[in-house]
Amino acid sequence: MSALTAKMRTLLSVYYAYMLEYRAEIVFWVLGGLVPFFFMAAWSEAARQGHTAYTPGEYERYFFAVFIARQLAIVWANWTFSDWVRTGKLSFHLLQPLDPAWRILADHAAERGVRLPMLALIGFVFALLFPGALVWPGWAPLLLGLAASTLAFLLSFLVAYSVGLLSFWFEDATEIFELWYVLMLFFSGMLAPLSLYPEAVQRAVYYTPFPHLVYLPASYWSGLEPADPRGFAVLGFWTLVFFAVARLLWRAGRRRFSAMGA
Amino acid sequence: MSVVVANRLSKMYQVAEKEPGLAGTLRHFVARRYKQIAAVREVSFELGEGEIVGFLGPNGAGKTTTLKMLTGLLYPTSGRAQVLGYVPHERRSGFLKQITLVMGNKAQLIWDLPVLDTLRVNAAVYEIPEVEYKKRVAQFAEMLAIEDILTQPVRKLSLGQRMKAELLASLLHHPRVLFLDEPTLGLDVNAQVAVRDFVRSYARERGATVLLTSHYMADIEALAERVILIHEGRLLFDGGLETLLDRFAPYKEVRLDLAEPAPAGAFDAYGEVVDFEGRSVRLLVTKERLTGVVAALLERFEVRDLTVDEPPLEEVIGRIFAAGAV
Repeated sequence: MSALTAKMRTLLSVYYAYMLEYRAEIVFWVLGGLVPFFFMAAWSEAARQGHTAYTPGEYERYFFAVFIARQLAIVWANWTFSDWVRTGKLSFHLLQPLDPAWRILADHAAERGVRLPMLALIGFVFALLFPGALVWPGWAPLLLGLAASTLAFLLSFLVAYSVGLLSFWFEDATEIFELWYVLMLFFSGMLAPLSLYPEAVQRAVYYTPFPHLVYLPASYWSGLEPADPRGFAVLGFWTLVFFAVARLLWRAGRRRFSAMGA
Repeated sequence: MSVVVANRLSKMYQVAEKEPGLAGTLRHFVARRYKQIAAVREVSFELGEGEIVGFLGPNGAGKTTTLKMLTGLLYPTSGRAQVLGYVPHERRSGFLKQITLVMGNKAQLIWDLPVLDTLRVNAAVYEIPEVEYKKRVAQFAEMLAIEDILTQPVRKLSLGQRMKAELLASLLHHPRVLFLDEPTLGLDVNAQVAVRDFVRSYARERGATVLLTSHYMADIEALAERVILIHEGRLLFDGGLETLLDRFAPYKEVRLDLAEPAPAGAFDAYGEVVDFEGRSVRLLVTKERLTGVVAALLERFEVRDLTVDEPPLEEVIGRIFAAGAV
């Protein structure tokens, strides 16, 4: 076992314990993520009136998949890092032989461990409320959807972390991440299946990360439309871009942090 | 060979200036003005292996800034810092594994979890094998008398218990160089003594080098034989405690306990009156006049008790800083 794996294993177990302390808050975070179900209600009603291309059952399946994809990719690295810079906690992490990004990554991964049982419970209630809406997608789509969702999480994490790193320059940079969220809300398939968007819009945003963050895993899981595997390449490209951005900001920012007063 | 080297170390900060009120806010927004603050100016000193050195100065003197440059948290504006042969701000793993910085006003412990969880993280980060980790925790916890609190959430601990746990977490990786910034800040007397004893034992056992700042002179007297004084970013003195007292305290403290209250001003002719409360008097008398003054006091007043001592270190240091230069 490599030294980094051993460190991450300990960090995961300790941060899991830490997140369990915040289980009540996590319940509210999960409930705050129920927004896709409101869109589901609206689109299902439209379907019942025969105005759209899909059936109410297909919308239910799709928006449940959107909900899960979104829940698995939620990040707050921007907030954590900014807090560390403002309160000086970053100094302690800089004194240790471990890049602080690993701590925040472990923090997110451990939180998923606390969130998953809640998602299972919501899934159970959903299945009771909408019988027949949830169908087994098959192993391959399930795993491909999970892979897409993991990549989406990684990219979102790197974007949020890069925004957090801007705190080296701005007093509070965390809100910049809201812009990312707004673009994701409109172009990721959270409001409606992307196949319902005008073709020109679909083409314009195709090479941005947004259409693949939620729509790609949701397509695999819901089977609403055939999933586009090229989305992996787009997500992979943007993940590499933001990895490089995060490293550059880290190097420049640490120098600035040290210059201005740690 | 020197373990810690500060060679003409300087640090300048750029600080934004803003006037109060709406007009000031608007001006600040449109055309921000900055001024340069010299936190540390060409400070030089060296620490040898196993040395424990007190680093003293009033608030804002540049102590913490110097410690941060020596631990690599700050880049020096000019000059050179070197610790164990490493350039601190390069943050090499070999360097980070051999140093620690304890800040009395900041905590590294994970607030909502038991102390042991922070210790587990530190053991993993510093790659301490499980058996060795358990041995060190047991040994340090016993030395600090905190065996019972390791499983309690940090938020439930008293300030003294937290500081002891901070020390344990900071020294778990057996650092060779300790930078301690006010480690006894706000602690009661018993906790201060426990922290001091622990630092002394650790340094002696492991031959560690310690640079310690503290506002409690008892810490300095108990731990350090050498002190470095810094004021307004400049080094004022670097030498032994004895030398400091000889050089800057050419007087003794005379304490009198009188049988009858004396009138105010009765002692002005004998020395500098530091304290006067009817029957109890504290005077500072120059060493040359001491014998004569003591004889005169005994002759003129009915004295129940008389003691002659070195003046408190706090007072000596306070006078040096009040004078502003040496």
